[in-house]
Amino acid sequence: MKRDNFYRRIFEIIPGFLTWATLLGLIIGAFIKPLWVAIFIITFDLYWVIRMSYLTTLLIFAYRRLNKERKIDWLKKCEALTVEEGLKHRDVWHAVLFPTYKEGLDILTPSIAALENTNYPTDRMIVMLSVEERAGEEAWQNALKLQREHAKNFARFLVTRHPEGLPGEVRVKGANATWGAKLLKEFCDKEKIGYERVVISCFDADTCADREYFGCLAYHYLTNPRRTHSSYQPIPVYNNNIWHARSVARILELGSSFMQMIETMRVEKFVTFSSHSMSFKTLVDVGYWPVDMISDDSVIYWKCFLHFNGDYSVKPIYVTVSMDVATERKILPTIVKQYRQKRRWAWGIENFPYVMIGFMHNKRIPLIKKIRRAFNILESHYTWAVWAIIVTFIAPLPIIFGGGLFRQTAIGYNLGSVAAVLFRMSLFTIFVCMLMTVRLLPPRPKDVKPQKRLVMVTQWLLSPLVAATLGSTPAIDAQTRLMLGKYMHFQVTEKKRKR
Amino acid sequence: MKRSDKIGRAIAFYFSVALFCVLLPIMLSYALGYQIDYRGFKIYKTGILYIESRPAGADIYLNGRKYPDVTPARIEELKPGSYRIEVLREGFYPWEKEVAVRPKMVTKADRIVLFPVKQEMKKIGGSGVSDFAIADNGYIYYMKKSGLYRSTMDSSSMKRLSSYSKWPNNVVGKRFSPSGDKFLYFSAWNVWVVDLDYGRTTGRGAEEANVEEVFAAKDPITDAFWYPGAGYIIIATDKDIEVAELGRGGTRNVVMLYKFNSKPRGIRYDESTNSLYFTDTGTGLGKDLGDSRYLYRIELKEKFFDQLIKVLIKKEPDSGYETR
Repeated sequence: MKRDNFYRRIFEIIPGFLTWATLLGLIIGAFIKPLWVAIFIITFDLYWVIRMSYLTTLLIFAYRRLNKERKIDWLKKCEALTVEEGLKHRDVWHAVLFPTYKEGLDILTPSIAALENTNYPTDRMIVMLSVEERAGEEAWQNALKLQREHAKNFARFLVTRHPEGLPGEVRVKGANATWGAKLLKEFCDKEKIGYERVVISCFDADTCADREYFGCLAYHYLTNPRRTHSSYQPIPVYNNNIWHARSVARILELGSSFMQMIETMRVEKFVTFSSHSMSFKTLVDVGYWPVDMISDDSVIYWKCFLHFNGDYSVKPIYVTVSMDVATERKILPTIVKQYRQKRRWAWGIENFPYVMIGFMHNKRIPLIKKIRRAFNILESHYTWAVWAIIVTFIAPLPIIFGGGLFRQTAIGYNLGSVAAVLFRMSLFTIFVCMLMTVRLLPPRPKDVKPQKRLVMVTQWLLSPLVAATLGSTPAIDAQTRLMLGKYMHFQVTEKKRKR
Repeated sequence: MKRSDKIGRAIAFYFSVALFCVLLPIMLSYALGYQIDYRGFKIYKTGILYIESRPAGADIYLNGRKYPDVTPARIEELKPGSYRIEVLREGFYPWEKEVAVRPKMVTKADRIVLFPVKQEMKKIGGSGVSDFAIADNGYIYYMKKSGLYRSTMDSSSMKRLSSYSKWPNNVVGKRFSPSGDKFLYFSAWNVWVVDLDYGRTTGRGAEEANVEEVFAAKDPITDAFWYPGAGYIIIATDKDIEVAELGRGGTRNVVMLYKFNSKPRGIRYDESTNSLYFTDTGTGLGKDLGDSRYLYRIELKEKFFDQLIKVLIKKEPDSGYETR
């Protein structure tokens, strides 16, 4: 245990150390070895542009796939299935769990309504609201009201209150979700429903599932021979309030949607994110979500990965779940809100020590697999933390601080023009993002002017500025906190909609 | 993941890796100033020459051979060595120089000014101009036989400000006040002040100027300066430094600020420190320090008013000067 704690600290320090060593090394290098830094910057810039172009290509592939699979009538496909591995589609129960805090009826009602509007038979759906006790009486009364109004539309509509301060728990969403899942287990035991027949979807309070979501999920669950060894990840889009959100928030949320689409093309690195689904049997077997970690959505994947000795994967399903853009009326509070949300996402770096300790204990996962997965986590968070700083702030430093002699050298003279050429190449990515935005936008609400459509496209011209300010800083913040042992607490991103 | 996606991804990945491997050496060698000779499989060092001229668009000749671009131009991949550059543009004098191009370095010839063969010249402001003064605010003041006139820099909007016409033939210098509403001019023996704001301050009309002689010297005047606030003028003669008060009506206070031991060889007023700098022999305290000459500074801010007060109570001025 003591040994584990020691190694845990080491693994907590590594990401932040690498990030700061890189950034400080480059800044100091710009003064004393500007030539080396200039060579590094050109190499990094080229790597980054090519990487972006590669990822943009994957985004196009993913979009093409999404577009194709959106047109499929998944329920019909489910009905056409013969009995797959002892299950037919009417055997499958969908349990939808909403761990909520203080989200009001304006947020929760559309999420429940979206479930009612899916084409999947709602008599095979169990809806569960797990409300934090500390959220107060109003939140609880809201849950009861929703139960009264919507219970008739589903097989079951369960509500529960997650008590505060249970042993071993901290104030995180995973603790609430686990409480709800345990109630579901009791229900299944009582109703004698086999856990493998239940697919649980853990949704954020604002998650509105696509009409085809549960049909698509059931189809993939039924046809997957290793259905309990997979999580099922939809494409998160932030369409609920996108027309009313600020440009900065839209760019960031669309960016994360695109990133998720790209990840669906890299299944060997794919990790669950935000709202997703999995077999309830698996969830019970691995002991539910972590009750003391913030990034429950990704940690549950790693928990399963370790439990099944590396034989666990995430299966992308090309249907969308729509959520809210974290936004405010004014620009500055929006930036602050986005910063906090991205920092919480970047806190996913807490997975690294968790996974590394797990790898140390698990001797059955092949070493090469361990190295690959550990590298993936570290590399993704490391590049997240350094890229925007290197590209925007460190790139000009050799010219500024390198001295007159460096500026007279060919590389000192060419550095700016090389960076400009590479920047122009990255416009390809911006162009694709513009195109995708238009394609993925929901219909324009009546209270939004038609010219806003133009803003939706041109907003991407702000992306270099947004990347410079919010691209890396939340990740640096999160990694520095972890490095210093100043652990983050779960901060709920407040959801509000324009009425 | 579908097979077609897998194949597509693999192609995109390996293409990206290959692109990186190919582009990186090319970009780095270009940035570092190396040139790859693909035929001879050789890498050699090069230098860059940057040429910029005013006006732009001039032809460039390198060792007698015309370069395809015109100025400003960046000539890359030059083998190190000496190059004769000629910059030519029709209607302008040519520019020519021998420059050394060093390996992996940039040689700049970016301050080339090409002067026109035929200067554009035209008469402005009409005839009868005795002298003129140009202010920072973009006006030309004409001291004409028919009066004082003002126009914009392109000689348009000509306006007569005063009918004064007794301009001296031998104006030694002119200076505008810090606020630009006055200027002084001086000959060897007199100082005049032109109040450009006279009409406004006296209520006689918005744009009317007044010319007034404010000082007559006993010794030849070498320079004259404005004291900040433009209420006083500092006058340097061959023998002393005096201060004359401006203003209409009553007695004009004139104070001798300093008496030179010998004729000064240089005098300068610095506005930022409000100080006078000049050379003189000795200390100014009457002590004979031989033939040595010093640079002195008078801080006018304090000393001048000390002087003025002491004159008024008829005491000798204090002289505490700093030797530099």
